[in-house]
Amino acid sequence: MLLFALLLVPFATAAASFFVRPRRAMEAINVAGFGIVFLIALALAAQVLAAGTISLANSFFYADSLSALVILLTASVALVCSTYSVGYLRDDLHSGELGDDETGKEQTAQLRMYYTLTPLLVFSMLFMAVSNNLGVMWAAMEATTLASIFLVTFYGKVTSLEAAWKYAIIGGVGLSMALFGTVVAYYAGHRLPGSDSLSGLNWSVLAQHAAQLDKTSMRLAFVLILLGYGTKAGLAPMHTWKPDAYSEAPVPSAAILSTALLNCALYCLIRYYILTSRCLGPEYPGQLLLLFGLLSMGVSVPFVLVQKNFRRLLAYSTIDHSGIMAIALGIGGAMGSLGLMLHMTFHTIAKSLLFLSAGNVYQHFRTDLFVKMKGSVMRTMPLTGVVLFMAMLAIIGMPPFSLFQSEFIILRAAFEGGHVLTGVFFVLFSIGLFTGVLLLLAGMVLGPAGDTPVVARRPWRDGSLLALAVVLVVIGFWVPSPLLELTREAAKVVSGL
Amino acid sequence: MLMMHFLDLQLGDRIITLMAALVLVLQIAMVTQRWIVVHIRIFAAQSFFLAMIAATIAWFNHAPHLYAAAALTVAVKVILVPILFERLVRRMKIHEEIEPIVNVPMSVVISGGLTLVGYVVAESFYRPDEPGLGHNALAVAISLFLIGFFTMINRRKALTQVLALLSLENGMFLAAISLTYGMPLIVELGVFFDVLVAAMVLGILVYRIRETFESMDVSRLRRLRG
Repeated sequence: MLLFALLLVPFATAAASFFVRPRRAMEAINVAGFGIVFLIALALAAQVLAAGTISLANSFFYADSLSALVILLTASVALVCSTYSVGYLRDDLHSGELGDDETGKEQTAQLRMYYTLTPLLVFSMLFMAVSNNLGVMWAAMEATTLASIFLVTFYGKVTSLEAAWKYAIIGGVGLSMALFGTVVAYYAGHRLPGSDSLSGLNWSVLAQHAAQLDKTSMRLAFVLILLGYGTKAGLAPMHTWKPDAYSEAPVPSAAILSTALLNCALYCLIRYYILTSRCLGPEYPGQLLLLFGLLSMGVSVPFVLVQKNFRRLLAYSTIDHSGIMAIALGIGGAMGSLGLMLHMTFHTIAKSLLFLSAGNVYQHFRTDLFVKMKGSVMRTMPLTGVVLFMAMLAIIGMPPFSLFQSEFIILRAAFEGGHVLTGVFFVLFSIGLFTGVLLLLAGMVLGPAGDTPVVARRPWRDGSLLALAVVLVVIGFWVPSPLLELTREAAKVVSGL
Repeated sequence: MLMMHFLDLQLGDRIITLMAALVLVLQIAMVTQRWIVVHIRIFAAQSFFLAMIAATIAWFNHAPHLYAAAALTVAVKVILVPILFERLVRRMKIHEEIEPIVNVPMSVVISGGLTLVGYVVAESFYRPDEPGLGHNALAVAISLFLIGFFTMINRRKALTQVLALLSLENGMFLAAISLTYGMPLIVELGVFFDVLVAAMVLGILVYRIRETFESMDVSRLRRLRG
């Protein structure tokens, strides 16, 4: 029942936003819809914790603690971003960013597109997380790309078309590889009983009989899947669409893409990692993941160090973090998996906060470039400045913020698992990232006041920022025990221990 | 009775091999083609033969859900998508030819090489102990995939890249029907829905790029660096 409601509500939200006229109604429907989705996600997490795995409709839908965690994170990001975007888009509307059509028709059309596509994007992500069938999971993942292409072209600028083109083509090629991988994985299980029915491609069935899967096919399948969903997760060298898409999309969409969608892509990788490691042993998928993870961390360091544009800086930081999570998955084991799940949770909170506060900065200064910013953020927008600085410290892994803990767990797992070289590179790249982000963002936040006026209070955006910031601070010291329990259970799904 | 079944399978295998060969020839024809409209029609023809392969496998293997997949292929890739794209071409008034980066004779040689790679890779899936259709079809599928990639890199016009992406997807479909006699129907439905939506979305995107840049040459999209 909960699962149906979880899918129905965002879909209904999209449909309702498409049909209503006034802007306020669209805003209200979106915020209310995502609020309900968030409550359902909470209830689902509670149910999974209490009663274990839920499966519905002949186990077409399937939710274990791993799916519940991803759903909860997706729903919370969606809720925060939807309240934030009310303020953000109103600001765009007043400042003429949405075109200067006098009658306001063009602007309303654009807003309708935003308020329809965002729930559709969330709908496809949630559908992906609850579908048991690997083929359906693929279709939902492709749908996320399709739903978000026109979010990237939202401002209709020359550069946003370019970004959207890269996003569509690189994403399309990546997902076609993932589809090939799905086909090969289906073939790997074609000797299992009942493989020609719909459930033959069900993850739960394949995972149960993982040892009997065809080994050669599974080997090929995992490579294709890693390249395919790795493209969506932005692992190097398939990461090139990320900085463009994140810097061109409206900031709340960019925040959803860089946290919730990243989690979803990783979720797909995790599902196949479980299958492959049960079939071939953890060594083979682990080594591949470590390779791509280290490459992603390594690639992002030079780009961060010489970055001139702060939204692209955030994108490279996301590439770095997806690398970290790939490494955690590659290390595997009980501790690596726990590190992965904690990191996923903490990164989602910190990175969305960082994106949203960067959105405030962008809207105030009307530039992405460090050199063009007159005056420091802290002086002109005190609240945003404080929050941005805090989120930045969190994202580079500064204690007492929680990303320090999760990265430390991952690092410990690396050394204990005998991946000494990985651990050493992990530390080196982290130092590079730490320096780059700290220098550039601290330079932007701190410093003398310029001649830009101090901004007035902006309830929608400041409210969302404060709520997230409180969560970020609290979670650094005290993780609520149900959440901790959920991450532990999810880690158990990954490691099988 | 058993003999009859065996002969049937052999006949089926021959028909499929023939049609798979046609699909491959059309893919290479796409590599050499210079006119966008012809390119679109070749894609439609290729998809049509693909649907025929699916129908043949459905007939000889008694896999009725493949008929549905074949019908969907005809509806989406032979009729809807080509009509959509031809209208787009007419609306954008494209007269210029496609300029490939590598010249045509070289492209054909490269495609031949990629076909060889396809056959080598498909070899590892061949099980002599399992009588089945479409061992050749798998090799063709992998070749389609690789040549599709090559075409994407080789062409600079946005619409041809989209067509290459769709032919890549054709390769995927062929792989699915030759390896496993097609995925479960609901999955196929999802895939076809995605293909249709993707074609529309990419069509709109191509149109907007053309409007903004007054060209479909994607090598002009180079503002975003670093």
